[in-house]
Amino acid sequence: MKARIVSREDAPKIVDLLRERGYEVIAPFGGRGRDTFFEPVTDENRGRIQIHLPNPDYPPKRYVFPPMERLLKVERRDGELRIEPTYDEKKRAIFGIRSCDVAGIYHLDRFYLGREFADIYYEKHRRNLFLVNVACTDAEMDIGENCFCMCTDTGPAAREHFDLQLFDLGVDGRGGELMAVAGTEAGEALFTSAIFKKAARAHLERRRVILEEVRKRFKPTTTSWFSAAIQAVSRGEIPDETWDEIGNRCLECGGCTYVCPACTCFTVTDRAVEGEGVERLRVWDSCALSGFTRMAGGFNPRRAVHDRRNRRFFRKLAHYFIERELSMACVGCGRCVAVCHGDVGMPSVVEMIRRQTAQRKEV
Amino acid sequence: MNPALAERETAGAAGVMENVYLPKAAVLDRVVDEIHEVKTFYWHFEDAAEQAAFRRFRPGQFAQVSLFGVGEFPTSLPPSPTEEETFFTVRQVGSCTAALHGLKAGDKFAVRGPYGNGFPMEEYRGKNLVFVAGGIGLIPLRSAIVYAMAKRGEYGRIQIFHGAKTPSELMYVPNLREWERTPGVECHLTVDRASRDRAGGEEWTGNVGVVGSLFKKPGVTVPVENTIAFVCGPPIMFRFVIKDLLGMGFEERNIVSTLERYMKCGVGKCGHCCIGVAYVCVDGPVFTYEQIKNLGEDI
Repeated sequence: MKARIVSREDAPKIVDLLRERGYEVIAPFGGRGRDTFFEPVTDENRGRIQIHLPNPDYPPKRYVFPPMERLLKVERRDGELRIEPTYDEKKRAIFGIRSCDVAGIYHLDRFYLGREFADIYYEKHRRNLFLVNVACTDAEMDIGENCFCMCTDTGPAAREHFDLQLFDLGVDGRGGELMAVAGTEAGEALFTSAIFKKAARAHLERRRVILEEVRKRFKPTTTSWFSAAIQAVSRGEIPDETWDEIGNRCLECGGCTYVCPACTCFTVTDRAVEGEGVERLRVWDSCALSGFTRMAGGFNPRRAVHDRRNRRFFRKLAHYFIERELSMACVGCGRCVAVCHGDVGMPSVVEMIRRQTAQRKEV
Repeated sequence: MNPALAERETAGAAGVMENVYLPKAAVLDRVVDEIHEVKTFYWHFEDAAEQAAFRRFRPGQFAQVSLFGVGEFPTSLPPSPTEEETFFTVRQVGSCTAALHGLKAGDKFAVRGPYGNGFPMEEYRGKNLVFVAGGIGLIPLRSAIVYAMAKRGEYGRIQIFHGAKTPSELMYVPNLREWERTPGVECHLTVDRASRDRAGGEEWTGNVGVVGSLFKKPGVTVPVENTIAFVCGPPIMFRFVIKDLLGMGFEERNIVSTLERYMKCGVGKCGHCCIGVAYVCVDGPVFTYEQIKNLGEDI
C-alpha cells in the first residue's frame, strides 16, 4: 500500500480534488448537539468539513442502496407496454466514512454482487462510488458509547475496501499531519496532487503507536463474546427462552434494520406517476415488521415476534451466512444499540446468548 | 477494487450485466376456468427469442408475473417444458392475482424467470414416481407429471393421487381423465364430500375421504423402494400425507415438495422468503422433507 502525508489544512482539499474529478462528495456534518448527518458538500458548507466528529446515526448505505429507488418506468402507448429500467449512475465520493461503514459497504458488495444473481442497480451505484475512510483516532469525537468494532474486527482503522484512508497522526485533533493510504488505484491516482508529501518510517511508527493507544479508549463492553454467540447460533443451541426474551423486548419498530449499514432487505411496489404511466420502486423493508412474510390470503409462516427477532440475529450471526457472504452482517457500528428502545441491540443480544447458553450448559 | 466487484468486472468484460428485475412484455392468449376462483392463463412473450429461452425451464421452477400499477407475484409453472404452450394457473387471493383474473385475451402484462431449483428429474431417472396433490397443490406438480409421462421410458411406475374438497374442485379435469386412460399410469382421485355440484350434475362414484385414504384402497400398492414421493397441498393435508408416507417406510429424503413464500425479487435479494438458512427462491422452491423439517418454520 502506498502512504503519503497530508497536512491538516490541506486535508479538506481532497474533497476539492474529488469535486474537480466530477464526484458529488458526501461528508458528515455536525448538526445541533451531537447529531451528525451525511450531506453533499457545496461551496457553502465546504468550510465546515471536519475530520473528527461522531458517526451519523443514519448509515451511508443509502448511497449504494437508497431507501427508495426507482427500478423501472412503464408506459402503455397504443396498446404497447414500454418497460424501461432507470439507473442512477452518478459519481459519488464519501469523505469521512468510518471503518465500520466501509465494512458495511463491503458486506453489501458481497451480498448484492457476489452471489447467484448480481444486482445491476447496486452495481451502478457502487462502481461510481469513491470511499475516503477516516480512521477513528479521536477518543472524544470518533468513538461513541456504543461502538464495538473491536469485537467485529472492522475498526478503528479499516485495513481494506476503501479507496483512500486518512489517519490522524496528531493527538486528539491537534498536531499538523495526517497519513493518507491508498487502497485502490483510483485512490493512488490522487497522490499526483502536491498536497501529498512523502511519508517516512517514523510516520508509520507513529500510526502504530496511536492505533494501539486508541484501542484502549473503547468503552469496556461484554461483546467480545461474539465468537461464542456465533457458535451457539450456528449449532442451534439457543434456548427458546432467549428468543422469547428478545422477542418480548422488541417493539417491532424496525429501527435496527433501517440504521444498520449491513441490512439488505427490501420490498417492491408500483406507483402511478401522473401522465407518465407507472414506476416500480424498491423500498427498504424490515424483518422486524409483522407483515414482512405475510402472503396473499393472509397466511404468515412467521407469526410470533420472537420468530422474527430470531430471524434477524440468526441471519447476522449464523456461520452459514458468514460463509455464504464471506463477511458478517454486523460491523460493530453500534447504531442498533442507540436506536433500540427495548435494549436488544446486537451487543445486548450477544451477551444474552452467551449468558443463557452458558447457564444452560452449567445446569 | 474489492473481490466481489472484481469478479463481476471479469463477467462484465464478456457481456453486459443482466438486469434481473426487468420483466419482459407478454400477451395473454386465452383464459380457461378451472375451479372456483382458479383460472389458467395461456400466454406468450412478445419477443420470440425470449419465449424460446423461457421454455427451457425445469419442472418445479417458478416465474414472477407483473401487473404494472398493482405489483408482481411469484407463481408456479404448471406446464411441462415438453409442452408447446406456456401458462399459469392462479387462484385469486390478493390484489395482483385479482388483477391477473381481470385480464382478457390480447391484454398485455409482463413476466420474468424462470427461477428456483426445480425438481431434479434427471436424478430421478429409473425411479418410481408417486405424486400426491391436495387441491391446487396439483398446479406445481402438473409440470413434473406431464414431463415424466412424456419421458415415460425413463421412469418406473407413475402414480398420481389427487384429492379435492368436492368433485367440482378437482384440478385439471381433462388432464385427470387423460391420465386415468394412459396405460402404465395409475391415477387415483378422491373427494372430501361427494356433493353433486359438478356442472351437469354428474354423480360422484369415486372414492370419498382424504388423499391418504387412497393409499389403503383395495388394489392400490404404493411402491416405497426406489421411489420418490412428490407432495403438495394445504398444510393440514401435507402433515397427514407425510405421516402416512413415513409410516409406509419412505425415507425423508425421498419425499419432495415445493414451498410458497412471500417473494419480492425471486433472485435471493429481497429477503422475504428466507427460512432458516434457505432462500426459497434460489435454494428452493423444491425441498426434500428432510430439508423442510430442519428449516424450522410452519409450512
